Amino acid sequence: MRRTLKKHFYKEYIALFLIPLSLYMVVFFLYPVIYNIVISFFDYSLGAEKTFNGGKNYLLMLRDEQFVGSLKTTILYIIYCVASQLFLGILIALLFNIESKIIGFFRTLILLPTVFTPLVVGLLWKALYHPDQGFLTYYMRLIGLNIGRGLLVERHLALLGIVIIDIWEWTPLVAIIVLAGMKSLPKEPYEAGMLDGAGKFALFRHITLPLLKPTLLIALLIRTLDAMKTFDTIFATTNGGPGTATTVANLRIYEVGIQQLHIGYAASMSNVLLVAGVVLGMVFMQVLYSNRGRNK
Amino acid sequence: MSLPSTRMYTRWMRYILIALALGFFLIPILWLLQTSLKFKIEMFKLPPVWFRFKPTFTNFEYVTGSMPVFKWGWNSIVISFGTMILSLLLGVPAGYAFSRVRFRGRFLLLSFILLARTLPPVLIVLPFRILMQKLGLFGTRLAVILIDTIYNACFTAWLMSGIFEAVPEDLEEAAIIDGCGIFKAFYRVVIPLSLPGLVTSALFAFIYSWNDFIFALTLTAPATATLPLGMLSTFGMMSVGWTTMAAMGVLSVLPVIVLSLLLQKYYVSGLTFGGVK
Repeated sequence: MRRTLKKHFYKEYIALFLIPLSLYMVVFFLYPVIYNIVISFFDYSLGAEKTFNGGKNYLLMLRDEQFVGSLKTTILYIIYCVASQLFLGILIALLFNIESKIIGFFRTLILLPTVFTPLVVGLLWKALYHPDQGFLTYYMRLIGLNIGRGLLVERHLALLGIVIIDIWEWTPLVAIIVLAGMKSLPKEPYEAGMLDGAGKFALFRHITLPLLKPTLLIALLIRTLDAMKTFDTIFATTNGGPGTATTVANLRIYEVGIQQLHIGYAASMSNVLLVAGVVLGMVFMQVLYSNRGRNK
Repeated sequence: MSLPSTRMYTRWMRYILIALALGFFLIPILWLLQTSLKFKIEMFKLPPVWFRFKPTFTNFEYVTGSMPVFKWGWNSIVISFGTMILSLLLGVPAGYAFSRVRFRGRFLLLSFILLARTLPPVLIVLPFRILMQKLGLFGTRLAVILIDTIYNACFTAWLMSGIFEAVPEDLEEAAIIDGCGIFKAFYRVVIPLSLPGLVTSALFAFIYSWNDFIFALTLTAPATATLPLGMLSTFGMMSVGWTTMAAMGVLSVLPVIVLSLLLQKYYVSGLTFGGVK
């Protein structure tokens, strides 16, 4: 009797452990997010009175070529980054999937870009891409690539330039996730496949890829959500230019909200990202959660 | 069965591709390192000079002597450790509760908590800045700690809930029945069994705030600027050039690189959200 009472009481008590974080999140996260939603219905710029203007910010936003353009750039940026990182990540995982001390050491080394301070990554690549003195520019010209005045300076190439930076920074992460997934695959299907005389590529195509699907989905979602957050590297390299060629939504919102201080309008723009983030985040949670359950 | 020659061929193909991949990921890092050790004049030589140059520490001397690197570094350290401690204090107990108590809306709450990490920083920073101005915290290191903690406490809670689930409940129940208080059971029995998770959480909170740029950019004042901000202002003064920038870059990435290499196992498990084993 006393035992069960104590046990029950103990569970109730542990629920209290949630309170500090919950309170913290309400004050420092939920409140700002809700404030952002409210303020998006106001005309609110620095030095001016706050006035309610209904959904005018949102109507304005739809016709704002710069913002709509920045959303398009964001979507293109995410697609280019994530698609190439998944492809290269799988390739690298296959290459490095050997049990050997040296390869294990290399696996550690290629993770270095992921821990680099993103701002340093941006400045570093800005130097590599420098039109006159960058060694990357030099070698690209040497092998005959037509990069005009330089990768980050040409309007039609700049997006490619910042995508390559993201590929450098985050492909290793995808590779490591895929490698971990490959290590946990069952052996039996391969034995059966080999008995049937399947070649290496057929084994990969019909066994590895389907079995890796949940892992690949996690990698895809992590990278999509992170690519949507990219700010530092673009800020440090092109700052959105030339023109608006690399102005992703984050940069545009920063310009309008922090530099020009049109707070209400910036809030309405950032709420587009809020909706996208919530939808993608919920999908991510579902996948991550069911994956964790299955692994247990 | 493949012929020996084709097998040789594919093996060599593999080594070549591995070498290419290593080159792609490591050459930029080597460039940064060697540029930080070059004299300014050598820097501009094209074709680039790889490794055959006289190394110098002038850039590091210049950076540490003429720029407030120690102030920036100190601010980075305070913010990173502050975030780490606050994130653990908030996130670890929450993760424990998630792993032990089944209640309605548990998944929803857990989702909400991880959602914080998935939203773009620019979204939070606008209203957060106004909140900090109202509280009189704008321009302080605490403001950056508070916003970094949103991201990291949640990550810690998520990660630790998975770790704690692997600790058998019987152990702490036995301790409680033996007359241990709940806090003591948690502290003495559960925590020691979950050290790897704690190390991962702490490491990630540290790396996250150390590498943060946008929050420091929007919330600090010159006196509270962190290393990345210092680097940006260094770069703004074009006269100092890249060799100085490279030296600053090396100094600012060194701590996180050393940490991630020393705690490699934990770093990898955190990178994958503890979701892939």
